[in-house]
Amino acid sequence: MATTAETERPHWVRTVLIGRRPKRTAARIVVLVVVCFVWFRFVLLPIRVQGMSMMPAYTENRVNFVNRVAYLFHEPRRGDVVAIRTSGISIMYMKRIIGLPGETVGFHAGQAVINGKILDEPYLKYNCDWELPPKLLGPDEYYFVGDNRSMPEGDHEKGVATRWRIVGKVLL
Amino acid sequence: MNRWFWRAAITAVLVAMAVWFYTVFFPSPERAIRARLTQLAKSASFGGKESPVAAMANAQRAAGFFMEDVQIRVELPGRIAATVSGRDDVREKTMALRSFGGGLQVEFLDINVTVAPDKNSAEANLTLKGRIAGEKDLIVQELKMLLNKIEGDWKIKRVETVKTLSFSTPPAAILANYD
Repeated sequence: MATTAETERPHWVRTVLIGRRPKRTAARIVVLVVVCFVWFRFVLLPIRVQGMSMMPAYTENRVNFVNRVAYLFHEPRRGDVVAIRTSGISIMYMKRIIGLPGETVGFHAGQAVINGKILDEPYLKYNCDWELPPKLLGPDEYYFVGDNRSMPEGDHEKGVATRWRIVGKVLL
Repeated sequence: MNRWFWRAAITAVLVAMAVWFYTVFFPSPERAIRARLTQLAKSASFGGKESPVAAMANAQRAAGFFMEDVQIRVELPGRIAATVSGRDDVREKTMALRSFGGGLQVEFLDINVTVAPDKNSAEANLTLKGRIAGEKDLIVQELKMLLNKIEGDWKIKRVETVKTLSFSTPPAAILANYD
């Protein structure tokens, strides 16, 4: 006489929700949460753009990411759009690097002047009439400015900060 | 095995609760300062419909966070550059701001605190986030505050603007909590 060992199969809803092996599902969820936390905290930091200082390239309320490992193997370059820390990273400034360490940076007739030469900035869409005397950057200093220079010079946050302020490069 | 597991789990929960209670009832200076500044931000915030009596009481409460001889020098690019001297001046300016109407929501973010070795003075570096009712743009400004411990309470002695984009040397309070 033959006997059959009949195992009871779990309900399909349970299978869909937690899988056939709940312990493995739990382990996968834990790994996924840890990976997401590390990834979105230390590698690609999600941000939401607020304000108009980087228009038209970066419009308000657009979601973006800051690549925090972009400068592990090379230093920031001219033209890079970067996130700059304040007292932390809850709120950061988003600006473009136009001056590198050791250079002189100024504005003449609304155009950025680096080491006495006018900087070609094809990303600019709005003209301005800013006049700023040349400033010599220190060995670890960068000059940051937004793309939207249509506003008065005094109302536009721009200037010098050291390398440690740069959180990473804006991804998109 | 199972019994030992539950004993260990219950012990871990009890230890965690004990640590939590200890930090609530005996907070570290850093934690106490952060809590104090968060309360200040709440007191400084106001809605559009605030009665004169409530405005006066709230202005009084906000002024209570400062020392008698407080010095405040704040510059918000494109908005204001204000100097306030003394607690009475703080109260008057706060009242004037509240009577202006509208509404203001204030938050202090990323509060980095460095306590002096004597544990009676401290420096806090933080980012002010303000939103004026009806305005689209946020107010964002990095600030440095010096605090003194007076009769068990942390009071603000000085407030200064930190210019994020022209400040070569990072404030000590930020570097201590750099992430």
